[in-house]
Formats: sequence, structure tokens, C-alpha cells
Amino acid sequence: MDIQLKRGLLDVCVLAAIKNEDSYGYKIIKDLKPCIELSESTLYTILKRLEGAGLLTVRSAEHDGRLRKYYHITNSGVRRIEEFKEEWKEVISIYQFVMKEDKQ
Amino acid sequence: MNKQEFLTSLRSALSGLPKADIEERIAFYGEMIDDRIEEGMSEEEAVAAIGTVDEIRKQTLKDIPLQKLVIEKVKPKRALRAWEIVLIALGFPVWFPLLMAAGSICLSVYLVFWTLIIALWAIEISLVGAVFSAIALAAVHTVQGSGLSALMPLGAAIFIAGLTIFAFYGCIAASKRIIKLTKKIGVGIKSLFVAKEKKQ
Repeated sequence: MDIQLKRGLLDVCVLAAIKNEDSYGYKIIKDLKPCIELSESTLYTILKRLEGAGLLTVRSAEHDGRLRKYYHITNSGVRRIEEFKEEWKEVISIYQFVMKEDKQ
Repeated sequence: MNKQEFLTSLRSALSGLPKADIEERIAFYGEMIDDRIEEGMSEEEAVAAIGTVDEIRKQTLKDIPLQKLVIEKVKPKRALRAWEIVLIALGFPVWFPLLMAAGSICLSVYLVFWTLIIALWAIEISLVGAVFSAIALAAVHTVQGSGLSALMPLGAAIFIAGLTIFAFYGCIAASKRIIKLTKKIGVGIKSLFVAKEKKQ
């Protein structure tokens, strides 16, 4: 898959994983597993990029006597997901056209 | 390898990075290991699931810009003494040209690769030009009434057009390869600033 495209998809995947409730690193990896296998170092890079772009914020909270980092989606993050949904309507209609022409 | 060994090994593999960057990564991977253990994995399994120190090191080098690594390398670890400052000032005619030379070498390596790409595409463009001039020549001959002499340039045009299409794919493949190579060299240069993982 094209690297730029994959990067954009992974960003939205991670945003979607924290959309409904704040989440932490290992949980994000587990939640995404049925959809995509993400390595720890890849996730770290994505989280850093999303934080830098202001799409999520990070807070540390105590859990079981140690610190754990929780990721929280910002309004811009939610907007990014909405944009993705709009963009992909277009992609899907292109895909359907390609499949239809291909069958003939 | 247990968690402590893994994190120690990671710390030494990343030494040379700014301290805050190292600590943040150590905390991130430490948390990942703890969360896996909490879920019932053994410590060894949890460490193995994270991946190798070398993978993390490579990914980290891709993420951190070269300037940051260079600044971290040249930043003095303590305040300079007066005689050291005098020495640096006096040594300026020696170290400055050396520094410039090192910088220029890095720059020229990149320039060589990019010139190669430009040269390849220049060949491709001149081939396209050749096709059109051959067609034009054939047209001139036809207008002048010598239809037979138009055949030669027309044949040449078709031949060169084939060559152009063939070379086009070659150019794309070569450009991709070269760009990949420059990225690899970039990581290689960054590696010079970060300690290699110690052999266990």
C-alpha cells in the first residue's frame, strides 16, 4: 500500500480507538488487532504525530501503583474522523465504479 | 530477557538522544510491558512481544530530525572553563574548515543522488523531443513531395517512441530506488550520533 495513504489510515484508526473513551497504549494495540497489527514503535510514532498536530492530548494517571499514560481525543481529532468519513464516501464510489467496469 | 535488562539495553541503544526523548520512550515501553504482565503474560513473554531493541532504535532514528541529534552531540555536558573557551576561539581556523568540509560532504552526497535523478529525467525528456523532431522531419519531407525520404524519419520516430516508453518505466524505478537509498543514508548518518546497541 502507498506509504502516505497507509499513514493517514493508521492515524484515523488510532483516533477512532480513543474516540469513545480515553485509552492507553496497550489497549489501543489490542483494540486495533482485529483490524490491523500495530507494533509498539509504530504506535509511538503515530501518537507523537497526532499529539503534535493537536488531534489528541496526553495525561498521566496512576494505575495499580504505577503511572499510565491516557490519550484523549480533541475536537480537531473528532473533526479529522468526520473528514475521513466524507473523503471515503468518494473513494468507495470510485471503488464500486472500478469493480463494475472490471466485471464487464 | 527481563524488563529491567530490556530497558537498560534500550537506554544504551538510544544514548546520544536528548535525555527527555530517551526517558519518554523508556516510560512508554515500560508501561507496555507492565500492561502485558498485568494481563497474565510472563515477564519474558511480555518483553518478547515488544519487539527488538534494534527495531525501536531504527524507528526512533527515523522520527528524530538530524539537527536535534547534532545539537545534542555538540552541547557541552557542563559549563565551559575559561581556558576551554580560549582554546575553542584560538582553534577556530582549524575546526571551522573541518566542520564545513564535513557538512559539504554530506550535502554533496545528497546532491550527487539528486543530480542522477535529474540526469535520468533529462534523458527521458530529450527522447520525447527526438520523437517530435523526427515526426516534424517526416512531415517536412512529405510536404516537399518526397514521400519515400519521409519513411526513414518516421521509422526513427516510432523506434524512439518505443524507447521512450521503455525508458519511462526505468526512470520511475530508478528514481524510487535512489530516493530509498538517500533515506537509508540519512538513517546511517544519524546512527553516527547515537550509540550502537551493545552486544549481549
